[in-house]
Amino acid sequence: MPVCGLTYRECEKLKDLKHFIFFEDLLMEAHNKLIKQAQEEGRICVAYTCENTPEPLLNLPGAFSARLRAPRTGSMDIATYYLTSFLCEYSRALLERAIEGGYNFADCIITPDGCSMMNRCVENMELLKTLGKDKEKFFYEYMEIPMKSDQNGLNLYVLQCKNHILQPLHDNYGLDISDEAIRKAVAEHNRVCELIRAIGEFRRGPRPTITGYEFHVITLATYAAPKYLLIDKLEETLEELKVREPDEQSDYRARVVVVGSEIDDIDFIKLVEDSGAYVCADRFCYGSFPGRDPIVLNDDEDALTQICRQYMQRGQCPRYMNTEKMLSRRQYVAELAKEYEADGIIYEQMKFCDPWAYEKMLGSHILRNDYGYPVLAVDRPYSIGTSGQMRTRVQAFVESIEIKKIQGGAANG
Amino acid sequence: MAKEIGADRLGDFYKAGSRVRKRREWRGVKDTMYDYSRWLKIMMTLGKFVMKPRNVKAMLRYRWMANYLAVPMMVDRHTQGLRGEYLRMCHVEQDLIIDDVAKLLDNLFRGDRRTGNDTEFSKKVVLVDENEMTAVMMGFPQLKCLSRETPSTYVSVLLNQHAAEHYLDVAQEFGLAGDVCPMPAAEAGVSIDDDAPVLGACAIQCNTTCDGSLLGNGVISKRLELEDGVPVFQLAAPLRHREDDVQEYAAQEIRNAIAFVEKHTGVQWDWKEYFECAKRVNYATKCRQEWLDMNRTDYPQVFGSNLALYTETNYMAICGRVADFEKADRKLSKLANQAFAAKKRAAKEYRHRAIIWGVQSHYYMDFLVWLLNCWGIVPLTDMLSMVSTKMIAEEDTPENREQAYYDMAWLTENMIMRNRTHGGYRVLLDELWDFTQQFNADMVILWEHMSCKALTGMHGMFEDRARELGIHLVWVGHDLFDPRIISRQGVRDQINNYMRTVMREEPIDPSLEVLPDEESW
Amino acid sequence: MPKGLKICLKVLAVIFMLFTGTFIIYIFNLDMKLTAAIEPWLLKHYDRIPRDRHL
Repeated sequence: MPVCGLTYRECEKLKDLKHFIFFEDLLMEAHNKLIKQAQEEGRICVAYTCENTPEPLLNLPGAFSARLRAPRTGSMDIATYYLTSFLCEYSRALLERAIEGGYNFADCIITPDGCSMMNRCVENMELLKTLGKDKEKFFYEYMEIPMKSDQNGLNLYVLQCKNHILQPLHDNYGLDISDEAIRKAVAEHNRVCELIRAIGEFRRGPRPTITGYEFHVITLATYAAPKYLLIDKLEETLEELKVREPDEQSDYRARVVVVGSEIDDIDFIKLVEDSGAYVCADRFCYGSFPGRDPIVLNDDEDALTQICRQYMQRGQCPRYMNTEKMLSRRQYVAELAKEYEADGIIYEQMKFCDPWAYEKMLGSHILRNDYGYPVLAVDRPYSIGTSGQMRTRVQAFVESIEIKKIQGGAANG
Repeated sequence: MAKEIGADRLGDFYKAGSRVRKRREWRGVKDTMYDYSRWLKIMMTLGKFVMKPRNVKAMLRYRWMANYLAVPMMVDRHTQGLRGEYLRMCHVEQDLIIDDVAKLLDNLFRGDRRTGNDTEFSKKVVLVDENEMTAVMMGFPQLKCLSRETPSTYVSVLLNQHAAEHYLDVAQEFGLAGDVCPMPAAEAGVSIDDDAPVLGACAIQCNTTCDGSLLGNGVISKRLELEDGVPVFQLAAPLRHREDDVQEYAAQEIRNAIAFVEKHTGVQWDWKEYFECAKRVNYATKCRQEWLDMNRTDYPQVFGSNLALYTETNYMAICGRVADFEKADRKLSKLANQAFAAKKRAAKEYRHRAIIWGVQSHYYMDFLVWLLNCWGIVPLTDMLSMVSTKMIAEEDTPENREQAYYDMAWLTENMIMRNRTHGGYRVLLDELWDFTQQFNADMVILWEHMSCKALTGMHGMFEDRARELGIHLVWVGHDLFDPRIISRQGVRDQINNYMRTVMREEPIDPSLEVLPDEESW
Repeated sequence: MPKGLKICLKVLAVIFMLFTGTFIIYIFNLDMKLTAAIEPWLLKHYDRIPRDRHL
């Protein structure tokens, strides 16, 4: 606990960001007010569930993307009946919300077979006819995505995006899927990415002017709400941050990078920061690394191929199985930690997530043994709430980092 | 002690707290002498194996080798209660599999840097996964295609129910979550525990069955490639294998894998040999189809573990590369036709016709044989036996050489298990009910592997559909490799409870209802 | 008794003894009982082997 006796959030002295409550509000409902507004403006909502679905293709003129979340999840009893308690809570929370009718705003859903659980989640949504109520043109699309980053994988990616994203959007909703339209979508996507990147820069240095929690909320909003309706708020926030006064002395005792499976529960980052660890970089699904890397296009090649190549090459998903990709995943985390001057790394996985169960084991050992970072490896439920166990673990981790600093880094492993 | 089927109380052979059974069955003079002769052959195979010093050295080096002490017992488990043609079918398969595994072990230790260390031989070895179609090796007769995981984990659990426990503990000690599938977890454990033979010119891994398997390969390749210096190619077979727009990608992966093997071994692909293997693949498919056709009648012949274990081996691990399996196909068909013509049955009473749906149902216990002997439930077929029935190109022509890449890709995509657990719900859910009708089954036993996310992810839909169709759906939960999670008796109790409370039946052999085999191999 | 017959009888006796011996091992599962006794010793041996245990 900080000296003031309050939690770290409570004793924070940073002045509130003007639009922060607005961003937080967007995350309280899957069907948030900006989605409603965009649909009222005649745009169609393309729901998706996995970061391997190239976002700009879902944001063609006349459409916008919404990555599905299930905020304020309570009971998951019905989804547990369909999926059993052995599937990750993210997939169960989404199915439960779908059964409750919480995603009927979506005009279609496009999902890759990223992992078995997400695939089964969406298949159950389809079999139980939970989406598309009163929407005649509603469709489900499943796509194959590469598991290796190479030319063959790229060819597959391009073909799958054509057949399972572009063509169905064109056939069902008449969207323009020309190269020009794709480039326009990329430009809008890049504007959001640049803003998020610029906002994220304020996490650097000993006196950051944005908390990891604030940054997470803002980033998450760009996945859950139509991007074009967020740009002005993001721009204002960026301007605000430029003049925001940092705390005289930070109450955080360590800087950490959080790495792992999807985190769309804003309480997790809050809990980590309340326990004394400042989240200086986010390498998880729904995070900004690499999710908010701008897509650089040239004029020599069609936009679709360039988008797919960049998604494939930058992808940090553990389902990429070739050796170079596996090695580069840990290298990427190490570089982030170095760049953002992290004292430690928290590897997290959602309970029952197979890909991250292995990646967490390997990553935590490699980052500790080969790169010399203190690492905490945890698994967690979908909604963390105010878990005392997690708090204790993060606090102990922060203390161990402090002890290492005092002892010059070498002692106690 | 009698010749007649079902005359013995098979449960009486078990002894509480013992690893082994009290004695072997007396099956009448003719069948006992036959079984005895096969036992002698197995003992000779084992004897021949331990004659080589490098194999003894390996026996003392690798923990999983201790499981091979239990080879005869595995055969005894799967031949329980069998007589006549059924006993012979079981031996034709199991003895061939034992022979094949003995050769695999012998080759592994010949090239292993720690035991045989035959470096020239090692240069001709290509390592493959345990759950990987070996189609991509069909045109490399000069090379040895060996799997380290097959003997260390896959076969070990067939021999000894506790075989994987040590390796699971090792993997979990290193931070692996306990809820992932224990098969790749145990394989990762073998690698972490420094208990895998080290050899080979190169290796081909595959995203075989599931996310766990794909990621587990990463643990193995880290050591194999980065420390042992064996280059690894990861073959990515598409998951949505029924879709036309993934086939070109799949074929290209095969081309790339072949080029990788050629590069690292200096051996060229042999089309003549490939098409010879393709003929054998087609013959195996034809035989399997015939057996399945018989199983649709009142007189099923090649079913239960006779079908399941053999299909896994022949379809996946052999994939037309070993001529002996073609001979075995012929023998099995002959025995099956003979028994079919005489309208023979494998057990005293057939009460229910069941389809077993789920992953391997013979790991850590003799579930399929037990179902038949204890409750008269005939396991007509199982999920892993419902594999590709497509005939592949077998004549060597320029067009067929191109087609061959697509055929190999098709086989790889349709490897056992993954052809059902991936590819959308139609192959797992919808086709089950089609099979139920085709086989005139009145019961589906959902052999639910609790850590298999692709399977448990359809739990509720299985339940809903069975209810709609009025089919008895019996849930049997298990943990594939780990009897500490659900024991053998825990598995049996799920059937016992259903049969007694829902079906209101009494067992055919009550001595099998509860068995004291927790300590047993 | 002719020498040839004697040899034949001896061979038959050996075969009979071999058959009886192995059949007793087979029917009373003595092979498995022996290996079951060996297994604990082997497991202890494996525990003693130094291993380079790492990821």
